[in-house]
Amino acid sequence: MKNLKTFWAKILIFLSVMGPGIITANVDNDAGGITTYSVAGAHFGYALIWSFIPIIIALVIIQEMCSRMAVVTGKGLADLIREEFGVRVTFYAMTVLVLSNIFNTISEFAGIAASAELFGISKYLLVPVCALFVWWLIVKGTYKSVEKVFLVACLFYVCYIVSGFLSKPDWNLIAKSSVHPNFQFDKAYIFMLIGVVGTTIAPWMQFYQQSSVVEKGIKLENYKYCRLDVIIGAFIVNIIAIFIIIVCANTLFANGIRVETAKEAALALKPLAGQYCFYLFAFGLLNASVFSACILPLSTAYSVCEGMGWEIGVNRTFKEAPQFYSLYTAIIVIGAAVILIPGVKLIPVMLISQATNGILLPFVLIFMLLLVNNKRLMGKYINSKFYNFCAILIIVAMILLSLFLFFTVFIK
Amino acid sequence: MNIPNQSTDINISAAKMFIFFSRLMDKPVLDKDGKTVGEIYDLVVKSSQVYPLSDALIIRKGFPNRKYALVNWPDIERIDKEGAQLKIERSVLNFNQIHDEKKEFTLRRDILDQQVVDTHNHKVIRVNDIQLLVVDHALMIAHVDIGSRGLLRRLGFEKSVDLIVKLFNPQARYLSNEHLISWKHIQPLTINPVSMTIKIDLPQENLASIPAADLGDIFLDLNINHQIALFKSLNLANKTKIFTNIDFKTQALLLDEMNDFEISELLNNTPSDEATDFLEKLPREKIKHILSLIENKYSKRLSQLLGYSGDSAGGLMTTEYIVFTKDTLVQAALNQIRERKFKSEPAQFIYIIDETQHLISVTNFRRLILANPGEPIANSAFPKTYFVHLDSSVKEVAYLMEKYKYFAIPVVDENNVLQGIITVDDILSQLIAFAWRRLKRIKIMQKI
Repeated sequence: MKNLKTFWAKILIFLSVMGPGIITANVDNDAGGITTYSVAGAHFGYALIWSFIPIIIALVIIQEMCSRMAVVTGKGLADLIREEFGVRVTFYAMTVLVLSNIFNTISEFAGIAASAELFGISKYLLVPVCALFVWWLIVKGTYKSVEKVFLVACLFYVCYIVSGFLSKPDWNLIAKSSVHPNFQFDKAYIFMLIGVVGTTIAPWMQFYQQSSVVEKGIKLENYKYCRLDVIIGAFIVNIIAIFIIIVCANTLFANGIRVETAKEAALALKPLAGQYCFYLFAFGLLNASVFSACILPLSTAYSVCEGMGWEIGVNRTFKEAPQFYSLYTAIIVIGAAVILIPGVKLIPVMLISQATNGILLPFVLIFMLLLVNNKRLMGKYINSKFYNFCAILIIVAMILLSLFLFFTVFIK
Repeated sequence: MNIPNQSTDINISAAKMFIFFSRLMDKPVLDKDGKTVGEIYDLVVKSSQVYPLSDALIIRKGFPNRKYALVNWPDIERIDKEGAQLKIERSVLNFNQIHDEKKEFTLRRDILDQQVVDTHNHKVIRVNDIQLLVVDHALMIAHVDIGSRGLLRRLGFEKSVDLIVKLFNPQARYLSNEHLISWKHIQPLTINPVSMTIKIDLPQENLASIPAADLGDIFLDLNINHQIALFKSLNLANKTKIFTNIDFKTQALLLDEMNDFEISELLNNTPSDEATDFLEKLPREKIKHILSLIENKYSKRLSQLLGYSGDSAGGLMTTEYIVFTKDTLVQAALNQIRERKFKSEPAQFIYIIDETQHLISVTNFRRLILANPGEPIANSAFPKTYFVHLDSSVKEVAYLMEKYKYFAIPVVDENNVLQGIITVDDILSQLIAFAWRRLKRIKIMQKI
C-alpha cells in the first residue's frame, strides 16, 4: 500500500517536472528534420536507422548537462556564458544565434506553406494565420499555459507513428538494421548521415532547454525526474524520426521514387500508402512546423535578453519587456514574410541556416563543457571523469560534423 | 611596452575623476623598472563602506596557461586607462593558477556582467560596466552602468556608434544618456560559498523602504539559489514582507529551506489572513506540523480560520483588529492604541463588543479623536452597524463595502459574536483575480 502511494507521488512529481526535455527534443523534428528523414528513408531505405542509437546517446548526454546546469545554478545558458565569459563573447554568440534562428524560422514557415499546398489551402492565407497564432500564443499566454499547448503539440507527433503502421512495414528487417550498422562508403550516404545527425543537435536547443528548466524552478532533489524527462524526450523524438524513415522507406524506397522535400514525399505517398497516410503525414508536417515556429523565436528572444540583461517577458507586457517582444515579433514577421515573397528560393535559406548552426554549435558545446566542469558554479555536480570522456567524444564528433557541414555549404 | 611620458604625470592623487572599469581591464601592468608583468584582470574591493574602496589588484599573464597574481593596493604606483605601474619588482610577484577564490568581493567576478538588485528602481538588473571614482591613491565604486552605452563600450563599439549617431543627429538623446545607478542603491547578489548567504552591504532599512509588493516582485525575478540565499540573509521584518508577497510555489520552496525555529518565527509574525492563505494550500500533514510549531494561541486561531472555505468571508478575514468593550472610556482606548497594544492591519476602524464578544457597534479613529475623552467609547460609534456572516460570499462582502464605502467590514458568527474583519485589500485581490482574464483580454485588444 505504502509502495503504491510513493509510486503515485513519484508519478505526480514527474508530471510536474516534465516538459522542457520532451518539448525541446520534439521541436527537433521540425520541418527541416522531417524533410531530412523523408529523404533519408526514400533514398536509403532502412540503411540509416542504426544511426539513431548513437544519436539518442549524444542527445541525452548534451541535453542532460543543460538541465543539470539549470537546476544547480538556477541560471540560463546565456546567463552563464555572460557571467563567466564576458559580454563580448555573449554578444557575438547571440548575433549568430539570432541569424541562425531567423533562417530556421523561415524554413519552419516554408514547412507551413508546403503543408498548406498539400491540404489545398493557399499559403497566402495559412502562413499569416499561423504567424498570428504563434505570436498571439506567447504575447497572451503565461509560461505555464504555453507549456501545456506545447505538450499537446508533442502528442500530435503520434500521427507519424500511425502512418508508419499504415504503411505495413517489415519489422524483422527494421529490427535487424537498427542494430546492424549498414555503413556504405558512398558520398551520398555519408552526406545523408551527416544531415541526419546535424538536424538532431542544434545550438538553440541547449539554450531553450536550460532556460525552460530554470523557468520551471525545479528543485535539486527532483533533478532525477528532470533527467528522466530528457531521456524520454530523446527517445520519443528519435522513435518518431525512425517512423518517418519507415514510412518513406516502405513506400518510396521500395518503389524507387526519389524525393527532395517533405512535400514531395507526402504527395508520393498518396497513391502508394493511401489517402489517410497522406493526410497524417501532411498534418504531422503542419503541426511540427507551427510548433517549431513558436519555439524558435521564443527561444531566441529568451536567450538574447538573458545574455544582454534585458527584461524577459512571457509573463510581462510589451512595455515592460520591449526588447523581448520586438525581437520575438521581428523574427516571426521576417520568417513569414520571406515565405510569402512570390518565387522565393528556399535552398539558400536552408544552406545558410545549416552554416550558421555549424559555426555556433562548436562554441556552444565547448562553453557548456567548461561551465559544467566549473566547480565554483556546479559544486559536486560537475561531470564525472567517465561522463566527461563521453561528452568530449561526442562534442569532438559534433564539431567535426558541423565543420564538415559548414564547409560543404561553400564547396557545393 | 612604452608608456607616453605625460601619462605618468597624471598621478592618481592629483586628479579626481571617474573612470570606467572596462577601460582598465586588460590594460598592461608594468613593474618598478617599467617591464611588463601582465595585464589588469580584476579589482578586489573592501566592502566595509557605502562606497567600497579598492584593496588589491589581480594581474593576469600567459595564454592559454593563465596565471594570476595579487598586488596589494599600497604597492601600486599609478593606475589609469593606460594601465598600471607597480612600486615593486616583477620577481616579487607570486603567480598562481587560481586567482580570487578566497577573496570576498571582486569586481569582475561579483559585479561585472552579474545580476544585482537596484533598490532605488526596485528591479533586478545586469551590470554592463562599473564607474569608479579616483580618490587619493585608490579607486572607489561610484556607479554601475546598465545602459546600452555601457554595453557598446564593452564591445568596443562606443566610439564608432557615437560617430554614426552624431552624423545623423548631433543632439541625439543617446549621446548624453548614461544609464548610471549610484552604488548606494545597489545590492550585489554574490552568494558566500560557505555560509550560503548573501552579504547585505546596505543597511536593511534600504530594503525595508521598498514597498512590500515591489520587494516581492524583485524577489520573484531572482533565480532559485539567489532567492534562498537572499531570504536567509534578511531580518525577520523583511522576511515577512517578502513571504507575504510571493506566489505559493516560491513560498513552499522557501519553507523547505527553513528549520522549525525559522518557520515558527516567520509564521508568528505573519498576519493571520496571509498565513491561512498559504497554509490552506499545503498537504494536511504539513499543516499539522507547522501549527504545532507556532505559538499556541495563534495556532488555534489559524486552525479555526483554516476551517472556512477560501472564498467565504470566514476564509478571507483576518483576526487582527482593534477591539474594546462598550464601557471602555475614550481616553483609555486612545491610550491603549498609542501604546501599540494591537497587532493590527492598517484599517482605521475600531470595533466595540460586549462582555461576551458580541459585536455592538463600530467607530473609527476620527470619531474617537473627536469624542469627549471621558465618555464611554460606545457613544462615538456609527449610528448603524454593518457586518457580514462567516459564510457570506466574496460578492456579498464586496457589494456591502462598496455601498457603504467601508475599508473594512466585521465578520460575525450565527450568534453575532465578532470573529474577524475583512479589509479592502483582501477583497480587491479576490476581485482582481475574477476580473483578470477579462482585463487581460481587453488589454490585448488595445495593443493590437
